Amino acid sequence: MKNFVGSRALPDLVYHCPENMNALMALFDTIQGEYKIVAGCTDFIPAVRGGRWSFNDGLSLIDIKKIDELNFIKETDGIVTIGAVTPLSTIMSSDIVQKHAPGLCHAMSTMASPQVRNVGTMGGNIAMSSPAGDTVPSLLALGASVIIKGKQEEKKVALDQFFTGPGKNIMASNEVLKAIEFPALKADESVHFQKIGTRDAVIISIVSAASFLKVENGVCKAARIALGSVAPTPIRVPKAEAFLKNKPATREVLAQCAELVAREISPITDLRASADYRRDLSETLSRRTLMACLDDLNP
Amino acid sequence: MKMPVTLNINNTTWNLDIDANATLLEVLRNNVLNQQSVHRSCEEGECGACTVLMDGKPVNSCLVMAASAQGSTIITSEGLMRGDELHPLMKAFVDELGLQCGFCTPGMVMSAYALINQWEDEELSDMDIRKAIEGNLCRCTGYVNIVNSIRRAKQAKDAGNWW
Ligand SMILES: Cc1cc2nc3c(=O)[nH]c(=O)nc-3n(C[C@H](O)[C@H](O)[C@H](O)COP(=O)(O)OP(=O)(O)OC[C@H]3O[C@@H](n4cnc5c(N)ncnc54)[C@H](O)[C@@H]3O)c2cc1C
Ligand code: FES
Ligand code: FES
Repeated sequence: MKNFVGSRALPDLVYHCPENMNALMALFDTIQGEYKIVAGCTDFIPAVRGGRWSFNDGLSLIDIKKIDELNFIKETDGIVTIGAVTPLSTIMSSDIVQKHAPGLCHAMSTMASPQVRNVGTMGGNIAMSSPAGDTVPSLLALGASVIIKGKQEEKKVALDQFFTGPGKNIMASNEVLKAIEFPALKADESVHFQKIGTRDAVIISIVSAASFLKVENGVCKAARIALGSVAPTPIRVPKAEAFLKNKPATREVLAQCAELVAREISPITDLRASADYRRDLSETLSRRTLMACLDDLNP
Repeated sequence: MKMPVTLNINNTTWNLDIDANATLLEVLRNNVLNQQSVHRSCEEGECGACTVLMDGKPVNSCLVMAASAQGSTIITSEGLMRGDELHPLMKAFVDELGLQCGFCTPGMVMSAYALINQWEDEELSDMDIRKAIEGNLCRCTGYVNIVNSIRRAKQAKDAGNWW
């Protein structure tokens, strides 16, 4: 089929569909030439069509979506674990995630469209390592870790140590993101996420923010604040987080903290927004998400 | 590279020999399957004109590699027809003027069909409808008549007029 102007054809492909992890690991040893792992393909296809990724000498595609070991949601001893290829829509509607991390379900509901969420995966969103990946701020706020499987070993890495630049992370090409885990929220903890784009649906974030707050007897015992689209990777703001520690959990204190967030970041101007606007939004979204947490905890 | 896939499309099973780099959209539109309701437009997941149901869920067929659809059940707008008879959901679009040029309509209909099929609560709010079609762009109608069409289709289903 002829392609429209500006839309590139997909490269010649050799398609692999390993059925389990052992087959995947064996494939890494034997595969020749350039290859790419894909799950939902919702980032892969637009990146090729738009010319951001090109493979002139053909490509081997490793479709990991059929590996059952990567498709699950479970909670054991207060730790929620989600397999990398679990579709976003399955996570959003899972009782476990709705109970233990409602803020993450909300974040996913603001992503893309029902059609994209039915095939797109959380592993794909994290592995893409876009500064605007919308699952990431909530996961950072939840204190999530990723489990990475390579031929020799399996390792667990804190998500805030995973990203190294726009589209870059610590994974080698013969490693696969296996699962994401985070502690289930306790009764005195809450996470909220908000994003701003030019419209509500099918839109890339101009800024996104997620906050985690733990309040004991009216005092902030712990806080994590994470932002998307304000730095080369999704980031946390340690100074602002430290400011909240052991401070009274009041709206005034949370508003002061949000001001610190705006001072701690150095966003850039690009075609979506100016640096100043991003800084303003970061303060607003940090404040709103922190206050939403407080409202949850002080009903 | 050519490769075999088995797909169930609108209740018929097909054993096909496809190109490994073909998307589900391309395979559905090719001259074997000829599902011309599956419209090809942005090919990047933005517009929803290519929406089909895959194992009961709406997906953008332009974002699914045909190879990875192996073994799945696909329903296109053609599959909602009973012979020449329009599905009650399609009739609702006609009655409420839910289409003008019609380019977005088959995709819109598939998103709406998935919504109404899985909707068990009595009340379907306009916001629920708008959330369900957020992945379907329409450049003509301004959406109001589309929302009205989907609301009317839900009433048809409640009245037992549905398949
Ligand atoms: C119309 C549209 C709207 C969108 N809107 C949003 C949005 O609002 N917010 C947002 O954050 N994103 C959005 N996206 C981007 C995309 O849908 C998400 O990032 C999605 O989660 C990607 O998952 P996937 O499984 O489809 O990834 P794929 O396309 O399958 O993979 C993406 C990349 O990750 C790698 N990868 C995938 N899984 C693994 C793994 N387990 N281990 C190692 N590497 C892996 C692949 O090699 C590839 O490089 C949108 C996309 C579209 C088309
Ligand atoms: S053609 Fe598939 S979403 Fe536009
Ligand atoms: S009727 Fe023309 S695009 Fe919707």
